[in-house]
Amino acid sequence: MHNVDLNQLASLINKNIPGANAVVNVAPDAKLDSSINIEASHITKTAQWLRSNTELPFNALQAITGIDWMESMEVCYIFANFDVNASRELILKVRLTDRVDPKVDSIMKVYPAADWQEREVYDMFGIKFNNHKDLRRILCPDDWQGWPLRKDYVAAKYYNGIEIYPEAKMNFEDRDFIVRQAMIKKAQETKAQ
Amino acid sequence: MNTNSTHETGSVKDYFGNLFNGIKTTVVGMWITFRYVWGVKPVSIEYPEVREVLPERARMRLFNDVQNCISCTQCAMACPVDCIYIASEKRPEGEEIKKTSNGQAIRLKLTQFTIDIGLCCYCGLCTTVCPTECLTHSHDYEFSQYTIDGMKYDYLAPDVIAWRERIVKV
Amino acid sequence: MQSRWDIGEPIKPTINEDTEQLKSELLTLNMGPQHPATHGVLRIEIWTDSEVVAHVIPHLGYLHRCMEKHSEQMDFRGVIPYVDRLDYLASMNMEWGYAITVEKMLGTEVPRRAELLRIMTGELQRIASHLMAFGTYALDLGAFTPFLYAFDYREKILRFFEEVSGARLLYNYMWIGGLWNDWTDDQLDRVKVFCDEMELEAKKYHQLVSMNKIFVQRTANVGIMSLQDCFDFGATGPILRGAGYKWDLRKNKPYSLYNEFDFDVPVGTGEQGVVGDCWNRYIVRMKEVTESIKIIRQVFDKLEPGPVMGKVSKVIKLPKGEVYVRTEAPRGEIGFHLFSEQDGKTPYRMKVKSPCFTHVSMLPRVAPGQMIADFVATIGSIDIVLGEVDR
Repeated sequence: MHNVDLNQLASLINKNIPGANAVVNVAPDAKLDSSINIEASHITKTAQWLRSNTELPFNALQAITGIDWMESMEVCYIFANFDVNASRELILKVRLTDRVDPKVDSIMKVYPAADWQEREVYDMFGIKFNNHKDLRRILCPDDWQGWPLRKDYVAAKYYNGIEIYPEAKMNFEDRDFIVRQAMIKKAQETKAQ
Repeated sequence: MNTNSTHETGSVKDYFGNLFNGIKTTVVGMWITFRYVWGVKPVSIEYPEVREVLPERARMRLFNDVQNCISCTQCAMACPVDCIYIASEKRPEGEEIKKTSNGQAIRLKLTQFTIDIGLCCYCGLCTTVCPTECLTHSHDYEFSQYTIDGMKYDYLAPDVIAWRERIVKV
Repeated sequence: MQSRWDIGEPIKPTINEDTEQLKSELLTLNMGPQHPATHGVLRIEIWTDSEVVAHVIPHLGYLHRCMEKHSEQMDFRGVIPYVDRLDYLASMNMEWGYAITVEKMLGTEVPRRAELLRIMTGELQRIASHLMAFGTYALDLGAFTPFLYAFDYREKILRFFEEVSGARLLYNYMWIGGLWNDWTDDQLDRVKVFCDEMELEAKKYHQLVSMNKIFVQRTANVGIMSLQDCFDFGATGPILRGAGYKWDLRKNKPYSLYNEFDFDVPVGTGEQGVVGDCWNRYIVRMKEVTESIKIIRQVFDKLEPGPVMGKVSKVIKLPKGEVYVRTEAPRGEIGFHLFSEQDGKTPYRMKVKSPCFTHVSMLPRVAPGQMIADFVATIGSIDIVLGEVDR
């Protein structure tokens, strides 16, 4: 994907960072993007190698995302190389099995761009980044409860005594309709089994 | 750290050079502004008295022509902010089934069609899915209200139905 | 590798030895959330040592709508109005990026006329956005006239968009698979006339502002973002090009039909000040206006009649997988990272990589040591839109 031979890159990572256990996540379709999975404990070393190596360098960090797969969490790093002759992109993934208190090392020392990106992931998913200098909420207020982008998040009704989710403003009929459709589908699936 | 140091070299030549440059660029700018004295039409309009004609596709307040509505709820499904409320019931047996202007049978009886215009984001997705083209964007853009409840429009109310003559062009 | 991460500690206040008994401490100054210099609702906590900025802490989230969470409950067409509201000064480019993302996942072919018209609308929007940046930047620095001139011409572009899409700012015009409406020949002719007018107008802006001594004094050598800083923080768009690096996705990683077009990528040359300062960022934007006009003119040569909407099923269902697509918006690279489940009718997760978010995160790096007035000039040169920062 994106001008990078992922198999070559994964073998390079495995050679240079022992224990990183890089595995290529091949997309089922050519139009979709493939990615590389590595062990969560080796992310700092891998990021350092990605930035400083001479074979396939990545000089910028574009984004850090969290994804909630219900049974586990995933942190997704997107690296890019801003080079006119060798532009490339890489999606690097780290799987965190502990969903209650997920933790991963910070790469803020390698890519300063990670500072705010990691704060955003912490804000939205509650994933803690070890060795981050200033891990606070960034978009939500400091006293906000819960992690909004987790799939099991229930929208808060009140915040500091202010009604923020007024039922009079909600069109529950539509929402019920969609939920009902999903329930019918689920029932049919269980029946088929 | 970041100080303006280039223009503070100190020599007499630079001093007068800067001075001349400053005067020259200011005069050039002033001349461009001064040319607007002649031959430039005013760009603003005096709003309440003069109004611009809106383009044909302009998306302003929603209007539903309830005589043509078949209660298919496609608009409510397409709405990204869920601001359309529709309720309908089966017609009692024996009642005549009317037809819409493009020939579709109105099988269900519409009992409620409300849009919370205060929530509407004027994206126009509801009007594109409407099969009978009864839900349209009108060209009304002045509809402020004293209370937020006034923004909930009941399109079955007689005063709202009365807009039909003005909006729907046959 | 040695890290350059050293913005944490603020500069110590200077103590005059004669008056050592006088207590001296940093003053905290809140700029925003309602401040004209922050271009929206951004609060910046500034620790000042007399008039010199010692430390800066931006506080975001005043415009946070959790658009990414909302989009998880929308069908793919319903996300577009939300995407519009990201960068509300360049909605067309936001829609375009999102549409390309979904189309790539669907495997939809977009008709050639639609692609060309997308390029034309995208470039018109880029001009409108840069005019806004130009006008408000001059306004930040105390010049009122350029603001009015720029808004006059921006208004003409918005008028075209209103005619073709029905709205002035939040268009919902670029749909998945093509465009909602086609441009009529009459409208295209008027765009041609507009291009000629705009070219003269851009020259006038150059004469009026670019070389003005007061403007140069306020912006040259101010707020220098070096190339190393740009790579550290992942800066893109006019910030990176202002630092003298020739990088434009339209040229280096062409999407849509940009590989058929001939245009230059303007970079900061250090004609005034040094490369990477406010003046160079400004001049990159102004030169991009001219380049956009060049692209629009080439569109007219290639344009042929045809459909503007590809074949897309009524209910869009995406395969399981992920896609990351980045496109060049006026403020930098906007990236959409879309995850879908098998036959997903809604995005499972959509991450928006917004350019201004990274640019605002550079403020603590450049601000220490500046005067407060220079700091205002630095914020203006970044050209923030808070809708995109907070999402």
